[in-house]
Amino acid sequence: MVVSERRLSLPNNPITGIVLAIPGYFAGVWLGTLFGLDDDQNTGIILGYLFATAAFLIGIGFLNYPLERLFGWQVTPVTDPAENTGIGRFFRLSLDHKVIGIQYLVTILIMLLFGGIGAMLIRTSLLVPDSTITPPGNYISLIGLHAVMMIFITSAVIVGPFGNYLVPLMIGARRMAFPRLEALSFWVVPPAAVILAAATFWGGFPTGWTGYPPLSVQAGQGMDSYIVGFALIAVALVTSGINMLATIIGLRAPGMTWTRLPMFVWGIFTTSILGLLAAPVLAAALIMLAMDRTVNTSFFLASNGGSNYLWENLFWFFGHPEVYIFILPAFGIIMEIVPHFARKPLWGYRTGVVGLFGVALLSWFVWQHHLFVSGIAPVLRPFYMLSTELISIPTGIIFLVVLGTLWRARVWFTVPMLFCMGFLFNFLIGGISGVYLSDVPTDVTLHGSYFSMAHFHYTIMGGEIFALMAAAYYWLPKMTGKMLSPTIGRIHFWWMFIAFNSTFFPLFIVGLLNMPRRVAAYNPDLVGLNRWVTISAYFLFGSMLVFAGNLIYSWFFVARPAVANPWHARSLEWQVPTPVPAANFDRVPVIVAGPYEYGIPNARPVADLGGIVGATGGG
Amino acid sequence: MGAFRIDEADRPHLVRLLVIWIVLSAIGVLAVLQIHYPPYDQTVQGQDQSRTLALLTALATPVFIAVVMMVLYSAVFFRRTTPELVDGPPMLGNTPVQIAWVAISAIVVLFLAVVGIATLASSNVAHAVGQPGRAIGQAGGQTGSGTPGGAGSEMQVQVIAQQWYFTYRYADYGGVETTHLYLPVDRPVELHITSIDIIHSFWAYQLGVKADANPGVDNIFHVTPQKTGSFQVRCAELCGLWHGNMADSEGQVVSQSAFDIWIAQQQKDFEVISKAVPSYAPYYFPEPLIKGG
Amino acid sequence: MAVRTRAYEADAAAAAALDTRLAGIGTWLFLAADLFFFVAWWFAFFYLRALNNHQDWKAQGIGPPSKGYGAIVLVLALATAITYFLGSRQATMAFLFRLLTPVALVLGIATCLFQGYEMWHLGFGLTEGGYPSVFSGLSGAWVIQFALATAWLASIVTQTGPAGDTIVRRQPAASFAWILLYLAAIGLVNYFLLYVVA
Repeated sequence: MVVSERRLSLPNNPITGIVLAIPGYFAGVWLGTLFGLDDDQNTGIILGYLFATAAFLIGIGFLNYPLERLFGWQVTPVTDPAENTGIGRFFRLSLDHKVIGIQYLVTILIMLLFGGIGAMLIRTSLLVPDSTITPPGNYISLIGLHAVMMIFITSAVIVGPFGNYLVPLMIGARRMAFPRLEALSFWVVPPAAVILAAATFWGGFPTGWTGYPPLSVQAGQGMDSYIVGFALIAVALVTSGINMLATIIGLRAPGMTWTRLPMFVWGIFTTSILGLLAAPVLAAALIMLAMDRTVNTSFFLASNGGSNYLWENLFWFFGHPEVYIFILPAFGIIMEIVPHFARKPLWGYRTGVVGLFGVALLSWFVWQHHLFVSGIAPVLRPFYMLSTELISIPTGIIFLVVLGTLWRARVWFTVPMLFCMGFLFNFLIGGISGVYLSDVPTDVTLHGSYFSMAHFHYTIMGGEIFALMAAAYYWLPKMTGKMLSPTIGRIHFWWMFIAFNSTFFPLFIVGLLNMPRRVAAYNPDLVGLNRWVTISAYFLFGSMLVFAGNLIYSWFFVARPAVANPWHARSLEWQVPTPVPAANFDRVPVIVAGPYEYGIPNARPVADLGGIVGATGGG
Repeated sequence: MGAFRIDEADRPHLVRLLVIWIVLSAIGVLAVLQIHYPPYDQTVQGQDQSRTLALLTALATPVFIAVVMMVLYSAVFFRRTTPELVDGPPMLGNTPVQIAWVAISAIVVLFLAVVGIATLASSNVAHAVGQPGRAIGQAGGQTGSGTPGGAGSEMQVQVIAQQWYFTYRYADYGGVETTHLYLPVDRPVELHITSIDIIHSFWAYQLGVKADANPGVDNIFHVTPQKTGSFQVRCAELCGLWHGNMADSEGQVVSQSAFDIWIAQQQKDFEVISKAVPSYAPYYFPEPLIKGG
Repeated sequence: MAVRTRAYEADAAAAAALDTRLAGIGTWLFLAADLFFFVAWWFAFFYLRALNNHQDWKAQGIGPPSKGYGAIVLVLALATAITYFLGSRQATMAFLFRLLTPVALVLGIATCLFQGYEMWHLGFGLTEGGYPSVFSGLSGAWVIQFALATAWLASIVTQTGPAGDTIVRRQPAASFAWILLYLAAIGLVNYFLLYVVA
């Protein structure tokens, strides 16, 4: 089977990647100048970003496998078990899903810090009703950078760290189906973040995250960062989607039937379907935008045979499933965690799964509710109003399942459980305000105002980020081997919950009182409310620092080693030792029961693991 | 089995919750109906929106109270009291309850959709026309209504957006172009919203009007002012550097006689300019856009 | 190989069976994703064609490049896919697989070259309206994907050298045939839209 013992001998690490990326960027700029049109300053930058990313990935080691295949060499085993220890493995290309999960977690937390600082700068600027603190140009690029950075983060913040780390453990697999794709889905994220940040050198981009042409066609070179960065995130969504779905379909342990699958895995499954199918549409739209900006095609210019509605339709055909990409794994987390702390079986397992699929399916038929006032054909509006309002039925099902699980439960009030309840409250407000926006007559007033901004912050931050915090307090002990401090955790929850609602609830009123989104200057009558919101936002940022402090305190100062199963949960991921052995399971676990069978007489343990239950130390 | 039988253990909880819910919902609905909802009642369309907002809030309040009450109730009464872990009763689901929940939410949703569509049909808000006679597909629903002065008693006013202000052309008054929007009271107005550079959004807050201004598109919005007074105009779609300052608080709804005086003055003031600007058209194509920093 | 030993399967045959299954699932998922990519382009085609803003979908004197030339590209693409498909079905007849795969590779390279030549000799500029935009974008996106698939095909050819030619390696290669067939089918639809419907 061995064709040749030769292999590439480049030292594969991020340093090599960065060293290669710099000449890669200049090669792209040079090529763009060579072949681009005379007045064209964008081809070079787009090619530069793409070449730099490719060079970075080559330096990381992604070219080895295709080259080795092409030249008929032996395919290099990237995860040599001997290499797979020590801190260094987190800084190299690793095909271990656990390492990728941690890599993702740290990267996303760093990105979250920058996105959060962006939010603080925006709110600081809004302390005054004119643009004296931040000039309008800076304000608009801040808006764009905060928005796109947060979209990058929220697309990946649950699937990346927790999906990659936990899905194989939850389904009884030793690996992912396509470890190289999985690694690629991570390694394109740091370049995407860096490229996005590079927009600041060109004065940012003026369009927010929606990138509406013709403004985005006219905009300066910062817009190229938006295009390439978003395209890389589309790559991450597709590769991660293929990998997750193939893993869940193909690598479930014997006995892990579809009706025994943990709800978190169902959340990842449905979100992966959306990411897999929506991101290519975005990729196509971004290619068109790049062509309009570089070779002067006219996809989006009405004056030359194009239409800006083409972008609006393609973007929101991606964009609306995209927001459910954020929230479906959060639904999964809530339905996963609540039964373990309610000490009851999930109330209506199949109904919950139907709810997830219902949301995923309906999300394809609602995108034009973003265009109600854009001048689309009036006959289409009732359909999109109805389809949007219909989404509240499967979402309501998910609430019912959680409330049914809490009914007559023996709730163990841990920090993850607190965050689950915070999620229910925030997402309820987010969901109800969504109905206001889906109704065409009220949307005329609310569209593009702070009301819609408050709505999606309630669903994304109040929903997804609260679920993320629940997941962090629940699963980080398994992933890092250290318990987080529950005392600081409780302070964190109450602080964050109060600050969050105090920040975003007034924004509904601000929106109703005539304040549009993304403005550097606003009606001076609203200065009082805006100052209240800004002060609350500072407190909200402070609550995130409490979380960071808890991580640092618990990891580095007061090490409270986590036992294998600190929550006494039934599900499979808690039955393996902590830290998780390199191979996850000693042998194939045979799944004999569902994960939520609390209180059922004579319920069997969830799996036959071959005698490693309760063992400590690695394998 | 036992489809409609209530478990003895559930009964006290259910009774308590039902009583709390009815009381709180009644108080809540009465409270939210006291609020005056934007965009108030300066126009017929704005009043419709105002009423719809009140209706949605009145409907949302019991739902909100029900869920929050359930969560808090669980947190208080279904809390574990023993120091060691105990499992709860193994309830796996209840099909009639699930069916009822879905049915109730479906009825509420369909009711909202019907109300929304009815309001939409009666207030007859925005729609766009691309190129008259050629426009098909989603950016054009109707054809040929862009001709000035031809649509019955509706007054035609064109809103032209550009970076970073709005101007208005009165098709029935020789296409005079003004810098503020004045509308006569009690006369239906057909707003034709277009842009000559990039996408803007014309938001006349008190009028209950919001419609995107797209280059090369004639976006139509019907509005009938019913009360005199001033209104604010803002841009509601990010349009570059001075988006936040693209606002005008000098819009006025005035009596017909005041309007006639005002428009005559405008025609006189802008007489010279009116000869220089392009003749009235449903939309204005700019030169092909070029890129710049 | 490290990745493989970390699966449960101890012996090569079981591991190969698992790989084949996963490669099959992955292929179909990829095709679903990629179909949405092309559907976005097709939507752009019909949308801009229907709107015909400023009568600039196809301005005076602008039309499809030579139909015959497009047909050559299409036939080459179909031939590539069918040749490889036939070869890959002969999993137990190593001889045919070894014979047909390089033939498919040559056809694939020819497809890319011919399409590339056409792209340089369009007969219209990219700035001249809706149709030129969609033509260049859609054909360009398609040929880039076809070129990447051809590169993967080349790696399959090198992997089927005398020593590497085992059933273990050929089985995942069989699901690659679906990708080539799919891209050829996309080429067929594109031809119909860009040259016939236009």
